[in-house]
Order: sequence, then C-alpha cells, then structure tokens
Amino acid sequence: MSQHLAELAADFLPRFLRGMAVNFEIAVISLVIGLVLGLLLALGRYRGAIAGAAAAAMVALMRAAPTFVVMFFLLNAIPRDATLFGAPLVVSGLMAVALSLVPYSAAYISDAGLDAMRHWRAGSHLGALLFLPNVTRAFFVLVMSSSAGAAIGVTEGITVILRRAEQLPTLDDRLLLFALGIVMFGIPLQLGFALISFIQRRLSRLVPATA
Amino acid sequence: MRRSVTVARCVVMVAVLLILAVGALRAQPGESPDTALATLLAAARAKLPGACRQATADRLVKILCAKTIRIGVRDYYPLFGTRTNGKHQGYEVDVGAAIARMLGVEPEFERVNAATRIPFLAEDRVDLVIATMGHNTQRDGQVRFIRPHYYRSETIIVAPKESKVAKMDDLLGRTVCVTVGNLSNAELVSRDARLMLFDEAGVLPERLKDQTCSLAAQDDSFFAYYFTDPDFAAAYGPKFGFSQVPWGMAVARHGSDELARALELISQIFHRDGLFLDIARFNRIGTGFLQEQQVVWRRTQCNTATGSTNPDCVLPALNAELQPTPFAPAVSAFETWLDATLDVEVALPMLKTAPAWEMFKDGVINSLILIAGALTATLAFAVLFGAAMGSRIAPLRWLARLLTITLQSSPIVLTLVIAAAIGHAFFAYSDAVALAASIAALGLANGSNAGQALSEAIWSLRAEGRFDGTPAVGHDLFSRALGRSSTQMVAFLVNAAKGTPIASFIGAPELLSALTDITSFSSGRATTYTLLLVFYTVVVMVVVWLCGKFRAYLEGRQLAGEAAA
Repeated sequence: MSQHLAELAADFLPRFLRGMAVNFEIAVISLVIGLVLGLLLALGRYRGAIAGAAAAAMVALMRAAPTFVVMFFLLNAIPRDATLFGAPLVVSGLMAVALSLVPYSAAYISDAGLDAMRHWRAGSHLGALLFLPNVTRAFFVLVMSSSAGAAIGVTEGITVILRRAEQLPTLDDRLLLFALGIVMFGIPLQLGFALISFIQRRLSRLVPATA
Repeated sequence: MRRSVTVARCVVMVAVLLILAVGALRAQPGESPDTALATLLAAARAKLPGACRQATADRLVKILCAKTIRIGVRDYYPLFGTRTNGKHQGYEVDVGAAIARMLGVEPEFERVNAATRIPFLAEDRVDLVIATMGHNTQRDGQVRFIRPHYYRSETIIVAPKESKVAKMDDLLGRTVCVTVGNLSNAELVSRDARLMLFDEAGVLPERLKDQTCSLAAQDDSFFAYYFTDPDFAAAYGPKFGFSQVPWGMAVARHGSDELARALELISQIFHRDGLFLDIARFNRIGTGFLQEQQVVWRRTQCNTATGSTNPDCVLPALNAELQPTPFAPAVSAFETWLDATLDVEVALPMLKTAPAWEMFKDGVINSLILIAGALTATLAFAVLFGAAMGSRIAPLRWLARLLTITLQSSPIVLTLVIAAAIGHAFFAYSDAVALAASIAALGLANGSNAGQALSEAIWSLRAEGRFDGTPAVGHDLFSRALGRSSTQMVAFLVNAAKGTPIASFIGAPELLSALTDITSFSSGRATTYTLLLVFYTVVVMVVVWLCGKFRAYLEGRQLAGEAAA
C-alpha cells in the first residue's frame, strides 16, 4: 500500500460506511414503494380481465424502463415549479435514484407476488412464502443498483470510493481501493444471499407443519 | 473692465454651446469624448421643457425631464448587485450611480434578473440595464448594447487547491459541474469533458465543499464573492479561464439613440479616467480587464468621440449563434403547431442546430452499437463462464467462480470505472475506448451471472444423465444446457441492454451522454429526457422481443436434443 493510500485510508472507512448507509436508505425507499405498487399490480394480474391486461402491460413497460434513464428523466423532466396535491414537488438526488428503481422493484414484486398468489391458491403455502426470500433478493439488487446515484452526485458508497480514487496518483493504488470497495459491497451482498438461503431452509422446515 | 471680461466669457460660452448644440449628434473625428458628451447633453437640455410632452422624444430627453434615470440592476449577485435592507450595493450599482451623476439626474434602481432584464427594457419599465449581461450576437437583436463594455467575465474552472488540473486538455473524461444554459458548456463538451448539470450557480460552491463536484465551471464574477471568504479561498482556487464574454450595459433598441450615444461617451471617459477601475477596486472584484481597457481608451486613436465605433478599440460581441440545420424552420413550425393545436409545449433542440443534430445522430448510432456490443459480449462471456464453471477441471472452475463472485459483488458503476481505468492505462482516452470498456464491463457483469446459470444447467444435466443412464456429453450437453438456462440467459441479456445508458458515466458517447451535452447549452430539457426515455424503453422492448425468439430457438433445440436422447 502506498503512502497516499495509507493517508487516505484513515478517514475513508467512516465516510464509506455513511455512503453505504445511503445505498441501504435508497434501497429501502424503492422497495417500500415497489411493494405497494407491485402487490397492487400483482392483484390486478391475478384477477385477470381488463385490469389484468392493463396491469400486465404496465409491468412489461416497467421491466423495459432503464433505471439510469428514468433517474435522469426524473431529475430533468419534472418542472421546478411542479406541485403534487398542492405541495411543491421537489425531487432530490436521493429520491430520484430511489424512484428510478421503483419500476424494477414494482415489476419484480409484481411477478413474485403473482407467483405467491397462484401457489397459495394451489395449496402450496411453501411456494407462496418464497415471496419473502424473493423480496430479500430484490432488496440486495436494489442496494447494488443504487450506486447509479454516483452519476448525479448522491454521496453513496461508490461516490465515496470514486472521490478517494481521484486523489490517488497511481493506477495500482486506485485498483487497490476499488478492490476494497468490492469487498465492502460484497460482504453485505453475500450475507444477504446467505440470509435468503437461511429463510428458504427455515420455510421448508416450518411450512409443511403449519400448512 | 472685469464686468466686460465676464460678459465676454459668457458670450463665448454661449457661442460654443450653440455651435456644439448644432452638431450635437454629429461627432467630429478627433473631437474628445468629453466635448462630444457636453455637446450632446447641452442639445438635449435645450429641448426641455417642450420635448418632455412629446411621446417620440428620445429616452435621454425623458430622463432629463424626469430628472431620474431608471436603472435595472441585479439584487442577488454578490459584489455586482445586491440589496440589503432596501439599499442597492455593488459594482454595477455604483456604476449606475456614477452615470446618473454625469447626466445630472437621480438614479432609481429597479430589480431585474436574467429573465426580466431584456423584457423590462422593451416594456419601458427601465431606461438602462446594468445587470451582469453578457454581450452576444443573439442578444444584439433584442437590445442595444453600449460599447465600450463595462466589464468582462470569463468562465473559470474552480477546483480544490491540490487538484492538478491546469488547462483544457486536463478535463478530458473528467466530470465538471456546470449550470444549465451556460454558453461555455458547448466548449467543455467539445473538449470531451463530462457535465453534471445544476439549475442554479448558487449550489456549486456547496457541491464543491461536500465533494459532489471535484471541478466546477462558472463565471469568474460569480466565484469572485466566494473567494472573498478566507476558508473557501484557502481550499479552492481558479485553475484556468476560457470563454470570455464582455458585459454590456443595454438600452432599448428603439427611441434610445441619444441615450445610447451619451452612455458610450461616458463609458469611454470612465475607462480612460480609471473610474470603472476605482469602482471595481472599491467593490473588490477582478480588475484585469479594466486595466487593459484603461490602456486602450487612453490611446489617441480611441480617445475620440468616434472611439466607440472603432473596431480597433471596442470588443466584438461573443458569437453565440449556432448554425441551424436545413430543417430547423420546419421543426420550429412543428413546435408552434403542437403548442397552438394541442397546447403541448415541446422543444426539440437536437433537431435545430447543426452541432446538436450531429451529437444526436452520433448518440443514437453509438447507443445501438453499445447495445449490440453488450448483448454479444454478454452471450460470449456467458458461454465462457458457463464452460469454465461447468468444467470438470477444478482449478478452472474455482477461478471462474471467484471471478463471478467478485463481479456479483461489484456494483455496475464500479465495474465500469475499473474497466475504463484499465482501458485508459493501455490506450489514450477516446470515445472508442470508452465504448469498448463499457461493452466489456456490461458483458462481464451480466455474462458471469448468465454463465453461472448455464453451469448449473450443465451440472443438473450431468446428474440426471447419471440417474437415468443417458449421460449427455460435449456439444450435446452444452446445447441442452443452453436450452435449460434460456430463461436466465434472456433475463441477463435484457439486463445488459437496459444497463447500456449507464455507460455514459465513464464517458461513452451514447444517447444519454449526447442529450445531456445538448441540453447543457440549449433549452427543452423536459422534452429531451422524455424522448430519451421513450427511445431506450422501445429499444429494450425490441431486445426483449428478440430475446424471446432466441429463447424459443434454444428451448426448441433442447427439446429436440432430449427427444433424440
């Protein structure tokens, strides 16, 4: 490790952890909104008929909407003087990232929710409860995807890494810092995957007894 | 004797004034600006009070009649025009007051901003505007600018003191925080700098402090105030300047000929005598331009009544006209038609000027190349990772798994940055390198995941083969595994296509990047980003449809393989 990297490392960890907290905050916001919207869409698709077709079309559209473009659209296309129910509608950088992830999370939750409803109706309660690990998986995907905020100046984990990298003179130092970032993001991600496996194992043990 | 001398003096003065009044508007070459001004003012005063009731009287006459000049100034532009407790302060305010003194009237300051300063002149709500207005060729058709210019700003790059940025070439591939609509943005774009857009200049110092921006570009006049803060000045500094714009006082285009002439002469005198310079020093703003101008206006050839029309003395307006496209009038007509018929305000800047049109076309082509490349790379890496992780050679399998876990643990933005850093270590920065690095990063990130699904299909087929006694091997095994993992393969191919706009983060010149650049120096952000969203959504839907066909093909092969087995 070069002297530059050692000097920078001193205050890097606290800043990085604060940045990662923003990643989690963004993921929570988009997951909560995605849950509400996704379950409504799943219910519409489950019921079928016109509402089902409309919900399915909306989900197809949401699946196709690129997160990064949606983020720039939210930041730039909403007029500065826009209001929602009379209140000023100001989309901050953090909210723009969170909202841009909603099409993905809502479409994913809608698919998982529809599967769960069908399993429940078919009597497979275990199959229905797989909704929980699926939601957990979506959450970790959202955490990783929230790094798009770096492009609009949101101070999340990757932004902290990139700001530090700019101060490092050599490619070796920068690559070392990037590797550190991958490890730091990898730990919660792999823990998340372990949590999903754990939930699935617990469900497979518990559900047959209660179903 | 003394009385006769006094009378004689009076007679001479009256005679001189009469002579000067006759040729008031016809300044003679070689005549000093002071004399020309005195003559002009005397002629205007001679029209009073009769001309005061004439609607067609020049604004100079009206000002003298009212004994007041209405001056439009900024009220929140530190050091240039601010208002505290109702009192206007700043360089432009002091210049306005000095002009009023020269005219022998009282100044009456009116608040204007960037949007109202020109309409206020046209609506006769102010006589004169001194409001941080850059003199460019576009505005020449809207107001009459006074030459010589009273100030000149330039766009400066401000960065932390330790930053090594020193010239335009150092901005290559770097992100610069700018404000929307700044004409200097076009120059930054042409030098391959990436832009982060903000609506208000006021946020830039804060974004520098919280490290959102490592570089910010804005008028030096704007940053001048912040550099008076010792803490800010200790941490940040101007790195270099570009895109110089002369600032001009302005009057209405019609009915202000004499007022404009008076202001031109006053400006000449203020430059020559160092009054602009003294006011600038008093207000603690940069004086480099004013010092240069003092030298110019002390020259014999410039210090004349006609100096303000001498091209060797005055500065040209900034040429801000962009070459229109051949179909620009049709586009404008279409926008007007939409507005009139459907009440929908649409702006299509990418179709109206030649540079924007070129950037737009390149953006579309590069986006399609990027999508095709990302899909191909994803498929290629999926096959490679799938083969490696499905291999019976343990070290190869472990290596592929380690790489997959690493790629899964790296957010796509970081993977892109790493690919770009490695790419730039071997090749000079270029659009092609950025595109190639993006394709590699998107292919690796999605291909590794798809490859994992493929390898799981390979192992499941092997296990089933052992179980039912029909083990598949070689090409047959791989072909059937592709069919079995087709859903996941397609999901990651679609994901790769959806992820392509993020390549703009490392400077890949795709459509998002191109449109961000275009909107940085033109209007129509809402329309532009709506079109962008529609473009990418449609393209991804086409990719989804094509991938559906591909999946049907793979599944068909799998079924055929299983039937043959």
